[in-house]
Amino acid sequence: MIEFRGVSKTYPGSSRPVVNDLSFEVFDGEICVLVGPSGCGKTTSMRMVNRLIEPSAGEILIDGEPNTAMSGTKLRRHIGYAIQQIGLFPHRTIADNIATVPQLLEWDKGRISARVEELLNLVGLDPDQYRDRYPAELSGGQQQRVGVARALAADPPVMLMDEPFGAVDPINRHRLQDEFLRIQGEIKKTIIFVTHDIDEAIKMGDRIAILQEGGILAQYDTPENILASPNSEFVSSFVGADRVLKRLSLLRVSDVELGPPNGDGLPRLSERMNLKDALSELIGAGVERGSVVSDKDAVRGTLSIETIQRLSHGAEQARGE
Amino acid sequence: MNSLLEVFQRPDFLSQLVVHVELSVVALLIGVAIALPAAIAVSRSPLASTIVINIANTGRAVPSLAILALVFPLLGFGFAPSLVALVLLAIPPILINASTGLMQVSPQVIDAARGMGLSDGQILGRIKLPIAAPVIFAGIRTSAVQVVASATLATFIGGGGLGELIVLGFQRNDLAIQIGGSLTVAMLAIITEVSFGALERTFTPKGLRIARKHRGK
Amino acid sequence: MFDWGWVSNNITDEILPALIGHIYLSFVSVAIALLISLPIGILVSRYRKVYPPVTFITGLLFSIPSLALFALLVSVPGLGLGSTTVIIALVSYSLLVLIRNVVAGIDSVPEETRDAARGMGLTNRQILFRVELPLALPVIVAGIRIATVTIIGIATIGAYISGGGLGELIFTGISRNFPTRVIVGAVLATLLAVLADLTLLAVERYLRPWARTRRA
Ligand SMILES: Nc1ncnc2c1ncn2[C@@H]1O[C@H](COP(=O)(O)OP(=O)(O)OP(=O)(O)O)[C@@H](O)[C@H]1O
Ligand SMILES: [Mg+2]
Repeated sequence: MIEFRGVSKTYPGSSRPVVNDLSFEVFDGEICVLVGPSGCGKTTSMRMVNRLIEPSAGEILIDGEPNTAMSGTKLRRHIGYAIQQIGLFPHRTIADNIATVPQLLEWDKGRISARVEELLNLVGLDPDQYRDRYPAELSGGQQQRVGVARALAADPPVMLMDEPFGAVDPINRHRLQDEFLRIQGEIKKTIIFVTHDIDEAIKMGDRIAILQEGGILAQYDTPENILASPNSEFVSSFVGADRVLKRLSLLRVSDVELGPPNGDGLPRLSERMNLKDALSELIGAGVERGSVVSDKDAVRGTLSIETIQRLSHGAEQARGE
Repeated sequence: MNSLLEVFQRPDFLSQLVVHVELSVVALLIGVAIALPAAIAVSRSPLASTIVINIANTGRAVPSLAILALVFPLLGFGFAPSLVALVLLAIPPILINASTGLMQVSPQVIDAARGMGLSDGQILGRIKLPIAAPVIFAGIRTSAVQVVASATLATFIGGGGLGELIVLGFQRNDLAIQIGGSLTVAMLAIITEVSFGALERTFTPKGLRIARKHRGK
Repeated sequence: MFDWGWVSNNITDEILPALIGHIYLSFVSVAIALLISLPIGILVSRYRKVYPPVTFITGLLFSIPSLALFALLVSVPGLGLGSTTVIIALVSYSLLVLIRNVVAGIDSVPEETRDAARGMGLTNRQILFRVELPLALPVIVAGIRIATVTIIGIATIGAYISGGGLGELIFTGISRNFPTRVIVGAVLATLLAVLADLTLLAVERYLRPWARTRRA
């Protein structure tokens, strides 16, 4: 668990803090997304965890221990670090890049090369093909994958990721996000993930911390709760006017109580679809209801626009206004 | 042709060649030993690096003969004063290139290294120096060629070297000695240029060579 | 050690003429070198194949130590001692830097710019004189700067083969063991080189406003 306790940061030569009395907890095995407009102090907050920046006030605890209990370099070897600009070492092969921290920790050769192979497979790069290449020989998306693999190399329990998919095109970004969620499903790291993109935050976060200018924590909650009940004008405008649709995108068709099967001539909806896509499908087809089917084409039941409407209306009511 | 061969068989030919090489090698080594640590010392501050680069740039503009000539009233004639002058000539190109090379290492790469827990010494030794190596070696090459060329002028302040033969040729009006000395110096300079060029390629990490090629496309 | 009296007594009949002679030697050499390098550089930018042999030959000339080149040129029948020989040597030293920068300057013109010019109906000759050369000018001036500083330095050695200039003061000072002459010659040569460097650097920056804050 990572715990921010009254953390503030004021840069030398400036009078206003860029991070202001930040207190929240990141739970084990969860992705906590720091999101907010540019310059609100996301990167600064994240870099205080591995002490690339020292806080002006407050403290950060990792598993109950202040992160100042050991030297900065030793601390960093046990915290994965991936950044938007990737920062792959241009003079080292992909394998050597990934092996950086294991080498610092003096793992033996066999263990390192086995780990490199495992990680390349994990991020979807064929080890035989990519191990001995140099960063310049990889596409942007591939470099990004290597950056993630490098951060994971020594199997750190905690990872810091600063807009790790920010530099790739939208299609590749969605692929990398999906892949990373799959990987996280296996490895269950405790992750602080920085982004300025609310859609990415909603997709990636188990919990979202929304920061506003001056490094003030505006709201900290699960994506569902934030979309259902933004606690301020700032948060509701930051998550956007389409927050009802965004919230639908968090729910799967299979999560909903379906009506009885009623097969004739209805458009088919996969049970793995999210509700936003299902709604779009139904409106597009100009019908009131669709037939929900499993992967193996077994009919599960029917889903109506009315049901979806009721669910999102519930969200509005949950705000208690 | 015969008389040229005679020049190469003169006893002072070999001894002056040795002095020439000695002057050049020692001056270059001392130059590297001063300039490289200095460049590393200032490399953490972009401002200090820029100042050092600018001073060294101005230093490069000082004519070689002027440096030798100015050393003479201060330190007198001989091998040691010539060596001092050549060291002064050797420093600026290395200082300029080493500072520039170290400054050009991408801040993101350094941040990633720091974020992974490399110490300052490890960042210098494993990241910055290897990445800056080609630029640093280019500076050493420039410096070496310039030192070999300027060592020819050491004769004017009694430092010896192959310039001695050229001057002897002029004094005796002996074309063979004049040409023999000149051709030897020219060969020496070209050999220096070529071999340091090879060294530069050897010390360019493969990944950087590939990166350069990809950028070139 | 330093004899101010000698300086004031000889300023008009020895020091100033040496300085002016030095400036003349350097200026004429750079001008001739530029006249040779511009057409060759333009040629190279059109026919890339000639670039390797051109850099090979000029690079070879550049790496010959100056005293050796002077000694070799003097022995060429018809040349002998004197300022003509010195100028030939100085020109040959400038070619590498100047040609390289002319080519680099023309190369630095974006293909889109050239394309736009062609699209507006400019002929190849007009593209060269109105688009490529003006845009290449800062890089060419950078080459002129390096060449000028190099030449001012090497010209001092030219005095050994009777080329005149500030080297004259240095050499006679050494042979007569008279430090004042040496110092005056060396200091003036240094000042001249540094001044030329800074002046041409200012010109370069004026022509390239976007790079004004940093020294290349
Ligand atoms: N080293 C520094 N010195 C002084 N001020 C800084 C420094 N680093 C960041 N700042 C300032 O602190 C504020 C917060 O910066 P930070 O990088 O944490 O923002 P961010 O939320 O990550 O923004 P972005 O989305 O643009 O990456 C900004 O106003 C920035 O200008
Ligand atoms: Mg940031």
